[in-house]
Amino acid sequence: MREGQKRSAGVWFASQWESFGLPLLLVVMVAVFAIIAPAFASVFNLVMNVKFSAIAGIGAIGMAFCIMSGDFDISVGSMSALVGVLGASLVPVIGGFGGVLATIVIAAFLGFVNGVFVTKLRIPAFITTLGMMYVYRALAYIYTNNSPVYIQSTFWYFIANGNVLGVPFVIILMLLCFGAAVYVLRKTPFGRYVVAVGTNKTAAMLSGINVDRIKITVFTLVGFFVGIATVVLASNLGSVNPGMTGQGYEFQVITVVVLGGTALGGGNGNLLGALFAAMIITSLRNGLGMRQVDSYWQFVATGLVLIFAVALNKIRYSLLGQREA
Amino acid sequence: MIRFLKLYERFGIVIFIVIASVFLAVASPNFLKVDTLLNIVAQGTYAAIVGFGMTLAITSGGFDLSVESVMSLVSVSLALLFPLIGIPLSIPVVLAVAASVGALNGLIIAKLKVSPLITTLSIMTIMKGVALLVAGGRQIVIQEKQFMELGTGKVAGIPIPIFIMVFFFVLFYMILYHTPLGRHISAVGSNENAARISGVKVDGVKIMVYTLVALTSGVASVIRTSQALIGSPSMSPGFVLVAITVTILGGTSLAGGRGNLWGTMLAAIFISMIYYGLNLINVQIFYQMLSVGLVLLVALFIEGLRVRYLAAAKARGIKV
Repeated sequence: MREGQKRSAGVWFASQWESFGLPLLLVVMVAVFAIIAPAFASVFNLVMNVKFSAIAGIGAIGMAFCIMSGDFDISVGSMSALVGVLGASLVPVIGGFGGVLATIVIAAFLGFVNGVFVTKLRIPAFITTLGMMYVYRALAYIYTNNSPVYIQSTFWYFIANGNVLGVPFVIILMLLCFGAAVYVLRKTPFGRYVVAVGTNKTAAMLSGINVDRIKITVFTLVGFFVGIATVVLASNLGSVNPGMTGQGYEFQVITVVVLGGTALGGGNGNLLGALFAAMIITSLRNGLGMRQVDSYWQFVATGLVLIFAVALNKIRYSLLGQREA
Repeated sequence: MIRFLKLYERFGIVIFIVIASVFLAVASPNFLKVDTLLNIVAQGTYAAIVGFGMTLAITSGGFDLSVESVMSLVSVSLALLFPLIGIPLSIPVVLAVAASVGALNGLIIAKLKVSPLITTLSIMTIMKGVALLVAGGRQIVIQEKQFMELGTGKVAGIPIPIFIMVFFFVLFYMILYHTPLGRHISAVGSNENAARISGVKVDGVKIMVYTLVALTSGVASVIRTSQALIGSPSMSPGFVLVAITVTILGGTSLAGGRGNLWGTMLAAIFISMIYYGLNLINVQIFYQMLSVGLVLLVALFIEGLRVRYLAAAKARGIKV
C-alpha cells in the first residue's frame, strides 16, 4: 500500500464499504428513484420499503453465518414454502401464536436436518441443499395438494402490519434480529468459531473446535431465521402458496449477503452491510416496479447486481490485502 | 469395502436398473414390451443429453445451474425464428445462442474467478428474465407442424431422440476419453494447480466445458420443444436437479477428475423408469420431484462413503 494517495483512497473506501459505501449507494439510489418516480419518495413508500426489506434481511442473517463458515444453503426458498404451509395450516388447531412458533421451530428443525446431512455426508453443502430444495418443495405441494393456505389469525397479521408506539413492529423485529446476530458474531465464542471454520477449516479442527457441531448449529440458525422471515412474508400476503412462496428467495438472500460485503470464500463477514444491502435490493425492485419496468427486467437486474457485488468484493479484498477465495 | 465401492462406481447403476426392472415387470404386464421399453428410453433422452454436459462440468470440478434458463431461451427463440428463417436454419442458430451463453458462464468462471455456483446462479436468473422478455411473458405456439417429426418421429421403429442421444454419447465419449481436451478436463478436475503447472490451458478448458454444457441444454430443449410444439419461457422447472442427479448417480465423482458417461446415460434411463412406475400407481406429478430429490440424496450418501474410503485407502498407501 505504498503507491501513494490514490491507492490509499481506494483502501480507505474498501475498508469503509459497509459503514459508508453501502449507505451512500442506498442514498444515491433513493435519490435517483425519487427524481424519476416522485411517488417513490413518499414517507409511506419509504417506510414500506424498510418493512419489506425485513423479508430478505432477516433471511440473510442466517445465510451470512452460513457463508462466513464457508458453506451455502440453497434450500431456503423451498424451506420457506414448506414451513409456511405447515405453520399456516396449524393455526386453526393451535392458534395464531402457536402457528407462528411452529413455523419457526419447524424451520429450525429443517435447518438442523440440512446441517446433519451436510456434515455427515461430507459432500459440498450446495449440492446436498440442492437435493433438499426439491424435496422440501415437493413436500409443500403434496401436503397442500397445490392449493394456497390462508392465515386466519390477528396475531400473525399483526407481525407485518401492526405498530408498537407508532413504529412498525416488523422493523423492530428486524433490528432485534440483527442486534442479536451481531452480538452472537462479535461477543460469543460461537461467533469466533464460525469465522475460524470459514477461514481455515483444518486449522480450526486442529485447534480443538468441533467443526461438525459448529456447522450443524449454523445450518439450524439458517432455518431459524428463514422461519422468522417466512412468518413476516406470510403476514404480508395473508396466505402461503406452496408453489410461489420462496421462489428465487435463495438468490435474493445470497445477493443481499454478498452485496453486504461478506466474502464468498468464508471467514470475512458483515451483518450491518447485509442490513443495508437488503434495503438496497428491496428499493431497487420497488423503484423499478414504480417506473413500470417490465417485471422480467428485475430478474436481469438482480442477476447483474450479484455479479457486480462479487466483483466488487474481489476488488475490495485485494485492496485490503485479504483473502477472498 | 474399497473393492465394492470401485465396483459400484462401474456397475452400481446397473444393479439399480435391474431391481427397478423386476419391480416394474411384476407390477405391469406392459413393461416388457419393446414399445414400452423404447418409450422409457426415449423419455430419458433429455436427461441423458444434458447429463453428458453436466458430467463434463462435474469432471472438471465445477457444475452448471443455468441449464433450465438456457433451455427456456432456446425454446422461445426457436418459436420466434421459425417464421423468419425456416426450420433448418433456426436450429443451428439457437444452438449457437445456447453455446454463447455457456461461453459467457465459462468466461466469468475462468477469467473473473467467480465460483461456478454464483456465476451460473446469476446467469440462470438473468437468462430467465431474457427468455421471458423475448417471449413477452407468454407461451408461443409453433405453427410449423413438420417440426414435430424431430421429437416424435421414428426411424426403423426407434424414436429419433434415441438416435440423437446415442450420437451425443459417442461424441462426448470421444471427447472425454480420446482427446487431449478430455484428459485436460480430468486433469483440471483432479488438481487445478497441478494441471496449470504442467501446461494445461485451464481457462480455455473451463470455457469449453461450460460451452458444451449449454450446447447439450440447447439440444435437449430443441427435442422437447418439438414434442410440445410450444415455445415456453419457463421450461421444465426442476430439470437442473435431474441433470445433476443422473450425473452423480451414474458414478461421476463430485471430487472431480473421474467422469462416467455410461453411468450418466444409464442413470437417466433409471430415472425414466421411476417416472414410469409413478405413472403406474397414478400419483401426482409432485412425487416425481420428490423421488428425484431422494434419489440424489441416496447417490450423495454413496458418494460420501466413496470419498471417505478412497481417502482412507490413499492414507494407508493402497493403490486406487
